[in-house]
Amino acid sequence: MPEPSRGLQISRRCWLLASLVAPLFPARGAADPLIVTFDGDNLHVSSLGLHFLQGKSLSRLKGGSTVEYVVTVSLFRDQFVTQFKRAEGHFLVSYDVWGAGDVFAVSTPGPPPRKAANLSQSATETWCLESMSVASVGIAPDRQFWLQLDLRALPPKLSSVLGESKISVDLIEVLTPGAEERQTSRTGPLRLVDLVRTPRKGRAG
Amino acid sequence: MKHAWLGCLCFLGSLLFAGPQDSDSNVNARYTVETVVVSGKGWTANLQSDTTDKISTGLRHQLIAIIGQKLNPPILDTLAQNLKKELSAREVTHRIVRGEIPEQVRVEFEVRPARASVGMNVNQFLYDSRQGWSGSGEADLTLQQHTFALGLVSNGDWLPERFSGIVARYEDKSVGTDRLSFKFEAESFHSQWNLATVAAMTANPQDVPGLYRSRLAFQPAATIVLAKPLTLTLGARVERFENEGPASEFESANALTATLHYHQSFEGANQQDLDADCSLHASSRLLNSDYVYSLRSGGVRYQFRNGKHIVTDNAWAGFISGRAPLSDRFVLGNTYYLRGWNKYEIDPLGGNRAVHNSVEYHYGAFQAFYDCGAIWDEGEPIVARHSVGLGVRESIFSLAVAVPMRSGRMEPIFMMGILP
Repeated sequence: MPEPSRGLQISRRCWLLASLVAPLFPARGAADPLIVTFDGDNLHVSSLGLHFLQGKSLSRLKGGSTVEYVVTVSLFRDQFVTQFKRAEGHFLVSYDVWGAGDVFAVSTPGPPPRKAANLSQSATETWCLESMSVASVGIAPDRQFWLQLDLRALPPKLSSVLGESKISVDLIEVLTPGAEERQTSRTGPLRLVDLVRTPRKGRAG
Repeated sequence: MKHAWLGCLCFLGSLLFAGPQDSDSNVNARYTVETVVVSGKGWTANLQSDTTDKISTGLRHQLIAIIGQKLNPPILDTLAQNLKKELSAREVTHRIVRGEIPEQVRVEFEVRPARASVGMNVNQFLYDSRQGWSGSGEADLTLQQHTFALGLVSNGDWLPERFSGIVARYEDKSVGTDRLSFKFEAESFHSQWNLATVAAMTANPQDVPGLYRSRLAFQPAATIVLAKPLTLTLGARVERFENEGPASEFESANALTATLHYHQSFEGANQQDLDADCSLHASSRLLNSDYVYSLRSGGVRYQFRNGKHIVTDNAWAGFISGRAPLSDRFVLGNTYYLRGWNKYEIDPLGGNRAVHNSVEYHYGAFQAFYDCGAIWDEGEPIVARHSVGLGVRESIFSLAVAVPMRSGRMEPIFMMGILP
């Protein structure tokens, strides 16, 4: 049975409440700035202070390259030992060198493929996180679970092994690949009944 | 063998029909490339206005080709890789910055020189339906301009024999000056002989030198840039053969070598490349050689490129006077010369005279070729042979079928792998 839709005003209040309350609970919010919401079908993750467009990947973006970010949301039955649900999303981010200010474009191969342009840095990060969801099917409303969010920026691809007339492998490059930039945030224990309710977004991971 | 064929065909097919990388994911793909700048330690070249001898003509042509086009980020990765390989760089990065005109961008490649690199290379890997597999690979260590390499070879294509063994190489690309380089190669091979060669040897024991079980060669050479693009390579080849037979007998073939090489590229609406070389190997008793002979050869290769159309003509001739070891005699009927013919059918012992011409036409991945040539020994009648072939080539991989033109029967030869 579908959850009755809640108005946008309530949702905004919930977000405001969550953002105010989150820093007061160190176990849930300050160390891992995750906000988990529930739309009746899916869990959604957002963050107030999590920034992943940074470091070397940001330098690569500003140099005009496309950087692929992989966002993974995992649910655990216990304290991050037994995983029972997982959703993964791939996001291709690029920086518009002729954009007005620092603006980015992001696309996801889907399905369905989606894209957005002229986003600020934080709006790009938010767009990626908001595109992620985990179906709540099979999770009892009062059952405890833990949530982990992984963010990875994939390093540049290795050089092609095909030369003009031979196959060459640079062993130094293969054995010392560029390190992945990775961030992990965790929160829990959570229960569906305790989560902030938002309007249904529709896409399940 | 049938399954190996299928596997290789699938592999080649996946390369041929692999989809292009998606350039739509990069927002800058809508901008036009205004210019390309390549910079290294102490040098910078704007390819639209500057000339540089740091980059080869072919690669420069690839880089210039993106100017005026919509930006294609995957191609920048490929060009960066090509620069890295050609300049033996540690890393080549690229960045896109605003051009002087709105909606145009400048592509900047930065070359970081390598202090050291370790690599594995497959220099040759091919299959010929008559001669079987041939391959060679090596591991190399490069420290600045010095390269040390150690490799394995098994080749049934190039010579009258199948030779297998190890190769070690040292190379100094710049001995005091960029105009002088030095190379030292050592080879140790075990030789295997085809029944046709053994039979021909038995039938004509006096005509050519005997078969050998193994051979060991050392070859130092220095290359001098006389006047760009003309180079002269001077060196020596000291080779020892362990002859076939119940008792171990050794013979040596020690020679001085000289090769002149010329390369010129002409750029314009079309690209044209001209390569010419001539070489001399002279072996004498003065060099304590059991074989006394001189080998002279020369070739010209011309290539005309217009978009996807490529026409190549490759002419070559060689002449041996005296008594040369089998490994120095000429061979036609392999994957390079007179493709489609079987070298053991034409001349199982090789010849001391040879002339060959090949015309190739490529359109994109597809190729067609016509080879003609003759191989003979001094005093024998000259028989000209012809062959035609078709194939596909993607990147460095080729698959070709060649048919000898003769009356009576048609026996195509299939070739695949990293072909010349």
